[in-house]
Amino acid sequence: MRARLVALAMFVLAGGSGAMADEAKRGEALFQSCRSCHSLDPGRPGMAGPPLDGLAGRLLGSAWGFDYSPGFRQARAQGLRWDAERLEAYLADPDSIVPGGWMSPPGGLSDADRAAMAVFLLER
Amino acid sequence: MLRRSFLKFGLAGIAAPSLILRGAQATEQPRPGSPFIVTYFDVPEIKGSRDVTDAGDGTLWVCGQRNGTLGRFDPRTRQVKVISLGEGAAPHGVVRGPDGAAWVTEGGQNAIARVDDKSHKVDLFALPPGRERANLNTPVFDKKGILWFTGQSGIIGRLDPKTGKMEVFDAPRGPGAYGITLTPSGEVWYASLAGNHIARIDTETASVTVVEPPTAGQGARRVWSDSKNRIWVSEWNSGQVSAYDTESGSWKGWKLPGDKPRTYSVYVDDADKVWLTDFAANAILRFDPLTEDFNSFPSDRAGANVRQMDGRSGEAWGGESGTNRLVRIQTVKPA
Repeated sequence: MRARLVALAMFVLAGGSGAMADEAKRGEALFQSCRSCHSLDPGRPGMAGPPLDGLAGRLLGSAWGFDYSPGFRQARAQGLRWDAERLEAYLADPDSIVPGGWMSPPGGLSDADRAAMAVFLLER
Repeated sequence: MLRRSFLKFGLAGIAAPSLILRGAQATEQPRPGSPFIVTYFDVPEIKGSRDVTDAGDGTLWVCGQRNGTLGRFDPRTRQVKVISLGEGAAPHGVVRGPDGAAWVTEGGQNAIARVDDKSHKVDLFALPPGRERANLNTPVFDKKGILWFTGQSGIIGRLDPKTGKMEVFDAPRGPGAYGITLTPSGEVWYASLAGNHIARIDTETASVTVVEPPTAGQGARRVWSDSKNRIWVSEWNSGQVSAYDTESGSWKGWKLPGDKPRTYSVYVDDADKVWLTDFAANAILRFDPLTEDFNSFPSDRAGANVRQMDGRSGEAWGGESGTNRLVRIQTVKPA
């Protein structure tokens, strides 16, 4: 009985992991249209938006050397950090999470798209 | 015939206009002794009020990017009509067409939207398959009545309003195509923010010629032509405004005042005065190319974020996307 439960758990985990990988892959594809402003390479300067590597748990407005808006500087001072919920809400309506921030709303994304992008960006 | 052509070339849908009328509150900012009058108009129904243009009858069009609306604002009555552009809409840019309608780069539905100026009926022209999430940015009409547009994912496109035929092309050097403008001589130019260049589009062949500004990595964001075929460029990364003379091929540039300026938008009025927005200073600036002086008009609210300006004789207009307001700056002529 116990062995069956373990096997079931492993199956679910494997399936879940595969599903997450699929989501991340889909998120990566969706992220292509963000590359006009954002890089995943912290060594690439001169982009309009900050680099988005290592986002999970990162303080808002804390990418090294990036010149942030006052809205993001305030969010950082408040100790706000990126997680899936905050990132998905930000992608839906940036101003609702960081009032006065400089990023425009990314159009054409469904709730599922935003969730996939969050999976991709937060696992890096 | 026209409808059939639209369907053939990808008319994505027709939305019934949804109108709301309300009176906007106006706040005049006193500037004693100044030749400028600054007035703010609250338009909360146009959420994320950003790109604007003159509608030709005293009213203005304004994009509500955060709630998928196009507003038509009358500063004489302070009434705003709110037009829903459809499910998931997120309009970015707007221009008035030769037909009098508003033509909108509607990024949320990945389409060009036409909003009739009489009925406010909305027609959508979808981008073709394979061009999903183009991140549509800014439109402009050329002298033959063809609509040219940019998409930040790295495209430029053209739409013939008479036939509905749309063509989309890869922009050189990948993502970044942003602001777009028409010169009096009939040339179409655009800026590439991520590509750090401006470029001329051959309106016959759609081939593109890239021109490099002298400041490396400058972040050319928006462009606007003056009456002498000079392309004025707002440089986001460098905090400069620069001007490219399309006839001589020469450049000039000026750093905006203040600490770490962030030049977002540029608009040149009918007197060839240059209107800029600086996100770092939370201000609109007016630059006089003759005297090389700047006038600054800081917003009275934090995070105003004016992303584009346009206007008409004696009036420069912008949308404060961060405060859901419109701002008008009138230039008073000396008595």
